[in-house]
Amino acid sequence: MSLSNLIDDWSRYRKGREEGGFHDYEHMWGMSIDLNKCIGCNACSVACYAENNLAVVGKEKFEKGQGMHWLRIERYWDEPDLGEERTSEFQQHGASFLPMMCQQCNAATCEPVCPVAATYHTPDGLNAQVYNRCIGSRYCSNNCPYRLRYFNFWSYYENSWPAPLQMQLNPDISVRDKGVMEKCTFCVQRIRTVKDSASMENRKVRDGEVQTACSQTCPTGAIEFGDMLGMYDPETGVAETKVTKMWRKYQVELGKTKQNKQTPELRGYRVFEFLNTDPCVMYLDRVREV
Amino acid sequence: MGWSGVGATLAGCDMPSTVTLEEGKEEVVSYLVPEEFVIPGVGVWYASTCRQCPSGCGIHGRVREGRVLKLEGNPESSINKGRLCQMGQAGLQAHYNPDRISKPQIRRGSSLVDATWEEAYALIAEKTANISGSKFAWMTGSVSGHQSVLLQAHLESIGSGNHFVHETINNAIWAKVSEDMLGDSNPRIRLDKAQSVLSFGADFLGTWGSPLHFSTEYAKFRTSPRGTLIQVEPNMTLTGANADLWVASKPGTEGALALGIANQLVSKHGLSMSGLSSSVQSLIRSHTIDETVTATGVDADRIADIAATLKRRSPSVVLAGASAQGHEHGYQCVAAAMVLNIILGNIGETIESNGEFAYESMAPVSGNTQSLVAFSQAAAEKRFDVVFFSGVNPVYTAPKSLGLKENMANIPFKVVFSHFNDETTAMADVVLPLASGEEDWGTHVAPYQAGVGEISIQQPLMEPLSKDTRGFGDILLTLLKKRNESAYEGFADYYAYLRNAFTTIPAEHKNGASDDQFWADVLSTGLIDVGVIEKALKIKAVDFDMPKDMGNSSDMVLAPSARLGFWDGRHANLPWLQEAPDQISKVVWDSWAELHPSTAKKIGVKEGDMVKIASASGEINVKVYIYKGVHPDVVAVPLGQGHDAGFSRYAKDRGVNSLSILDPKVDKMTGELALYSTNVKVTKAAKTDDVLVRFGGSETQIGRKLVSTVSADVFERTEGGDHVA
Repeated sequence: MSLSNLIDDWSRYRKGREEGGFHDYEHMWGMSIDLNKCIGCNACSVACYAENNLAVVGKEKFEKGQGMHWLRIERYWDEPDLGEERTSEFQQHGASFLPMMCQQCNAATCEPVCPVAATYHTPDGLNAQVYNRCIGSRYCSNNCPYRLRYFNFWSYYENSWPAPLQMQLNPDISVRDKGVMEKCTFCVQRIRTVKDSASMENRKVRDGEVQTACSQTCPTGAIEFGDMLGMYDPETGVAETKVTKMWRKYQVELGKTKQNKQTPELRGYRVFEFLNTDPCVMYLDRVREV
Repeated sequence: MGWSGVGATLAGCDMPSTVTLEEGKEEVVSYLVPEEFVIPGVGVWYASTCRQCPSGCGIHGRVREGRVLKLEGNPESSINKGRLCQMGQAGLQAHYNPDRISKPQIRRGSSLVDATWEEAYALIAEKTANISGSKFAWMTGSVSGHQSVLLQAHLESIGSGNHFVHETINNAIWAKVSEDMLGDSNPRIRLDKAQSVLSFGADFLGTWGSPLHFSTEYAKFRTSPRGTLIQVEPNMTLTGANADLWVASKPGTEGALALGIANQLVSKHGLSMSGLSSSVQSLIRSHTIDETVTATGVDADRIADIAATLKRRSPSVVLAGASAQGHEHGYQCVAAAMVLNIILGNIGETIESNGEFAYESMAPVSGNTQSLVAFSQAAAEKRFDVVFFSGVNPVYTAPKSLGLKENMANIPFKVVFSHFNDETTAMADVVLPLASGEEDWGTHVAPYQAGVGEISIQQPLMEPLSKDTRGFGDILLTLLKKRNESAYEGFADYYAYLRNAFTTIPAEHKNGASDDQFWADVLSTGLIDVGVIEKALKIKAVDFDMPKDMGNSSDMVLAPSARLGFWDGRHANLPWLQEAPDQISKVVWDSWAELHPSTAKKIGVKEGDMVKIASASGEINVKVYIYKGVHPDVVAVPLGQGHDAGFSRYAKDRGVNSLSILDPKVDKMTGELALYSTNVKVTKAAKTDDVLVRFGGSETQIGRKLVSTVSADVFERTEGGDHVA
């Protein structure tokens, strides 16, 4: 393989969605998370533990940064955009909460570094992790700017679910063993179930039919989940989904490292999009009356 | 315990465990011969009711191969509209908890030993055979529905009227003030209509009223035109963390601040004081801006700002919660907040009547802390020979200064209905192991419902994990049969009782369905709306005073802040919640003391250091978390940890219980425990090897655009009005 071939392939890969050819996406699952509505309550995170067989690691391992929270609520005290908190005596605009899960990047930095192709892009636009293939090099985790890949440093199944807690485990997905990387899958088992039933009924998946555990439970409805490629609805004749509508409304586009909005003040951004990771999660700015 | 009808879909499985093909292990498919309608591998959702807190949210449980795997909110429920909080999600871990009690226990000397139900019932029958009503009492958490009906029947069968209903997290003073001033103890709060909310410590997103319901309403409040939230409290709650303006208050000064704002509204903005008593009118006049600044320490500009915002962003709503009501003059503080609602014209606008639940015997009975004080007192006076406990853990929630634990020794026979070997259960003479929320039948009427009268059904989502646990209703029914066989002999079990109860419901609720069809419908939707008796709010003039010298001690004040998570400590045994970082401090698996940076500097401590917090009633040593979301004169130690060893492997040797060192002060009007009025001295203590573990490496974004914030002006300009998509 010549260097020019390599660069060529790489370039085609990065531009796969805009120019086509490299990926034939069947779906491209994405999200819109409204930080004006998010209250930082943790419901999504615990729903994720329940849905995805996430191990409870205990205080000592949590201290070492080994917590397995695929979806975590980050909490910051400063507001760089408002700029005044540092000097004030109190935390007068409250906290800044950020639900952070795998951003399902279309140009994922974790994918090309995997020596065994355990992490790859699926035709559903998901950044998938093949547990059976993973050899635990942790290169992907090292390369993820969002720090949301979680490594099984231990065989958690040995004592994270003392009987009868193990009866709660979701049989639709596996429990991961030591030496394997894991991360948010956008509840791939729920996607799978819906796709299977749609195909058995000889129809296409409908918008809103797949709900991730976090989006389903969110008390304020801050998390919107759906297909970024749109879904044709024979009843309304519209190809837009709730998520594509949100992205269009907030003038955020995939495949860009900097958004060029018609209304520059409009909310809506992707975390670290300047890194050209092309994440499929859009955040709507937090709002405060100042 | 037989079920039939829809319930039977869950019957017939033995104890399945993880799927494996190993020799001697379980079958791959747990049903050897599955029911006809069960498709292995396909989950089916059944409706039930969440029992993790008293709010009564509707849930759906996903059942596959006889196991309940996941809980979600029931979209039909007007309370939570399909949503569920982290405590609700973790209900599964209460059900599958490895530390659940699975057998009845009877005290033999100093220890509890396993026994049979026959032995337990025989002992109870013996001890209650000739008891006089005044010598018997029930102590429970909030209760409603048919469990409440049977519980009252049991009390009547003994001739007793002693029912102590205890909840540490409650709205008791808000309810009393609302009753006195509006003629309705449970008014409806229209967050969706409000353009501004001023909340004195009412953590309506976390622990106040019906948190999940208010979270769904909050989402509407925050859409354009976006409402403004102002939170006044001694330390930041989840609601405070979402405020546009968060104001630190010294505990006890909330009432003075409310009156100061009222003064501004009247004197600067020309609002009327009509409807208020003359004494309250003169109280408002006396709370001039200077007086209020002196009393509260809040800036004059800030007070004027808050008043102007409430006036400008009309309609508004003013709420008061735990930190405002937790004082010897708690009633007055809450009343002053309600006065603001009257002045601002919110009654009938954003505060309406919820109506009254039509069936009195099933109506919710909400707990308080006055009952805890009264119970401890009664026990001290040796008034009871037999006490039954269920859904409460008073030995943990009572401050040591009440002497409740010692007074329990004066009760010769204590029967505790329990899931776990908690502090109260450990003192029992008979322990009756309860079925979990996912194994039991019940009907529940939520204490806060937005103008509807829903009865929510609790149905088993799977077979009981243990053969020797019993449903609460089943035990009550058995106890009643032993006292009055003829009245209850027709009911084989609590299921049969409920089934029958639903045939007797007035025909207007059945929509012409047959009894069987109606029952099946109710089970499948999970609830039925039986309507409410319409009521109208009527403003009543009430007299109250506002003590001047409150909150001015040189000592610090302890804030035993409650969180959506461990609640009053009952969920410390759930590993998901132990490992879920606290929403504010992000601490896991531990207790912590919140201090303001200036206070920490004065004491000479940094994050993770140990401090000794000493009140007149005791002391605790706890690690420090420092941030700007707490008043400098306050040390906040959130509730939940500090349990005795027996409660759970997950809660064992973890943190402290800040309730334990509270002084036995009460609100003088209602007798409610004054939770935010204990003065403490905070000093540096020796560090231990045990470290404070927190999630997240950085408290700031270090200049990265992680959480971007825009002003409400920009939001309205780009998304308000015509711009709404």
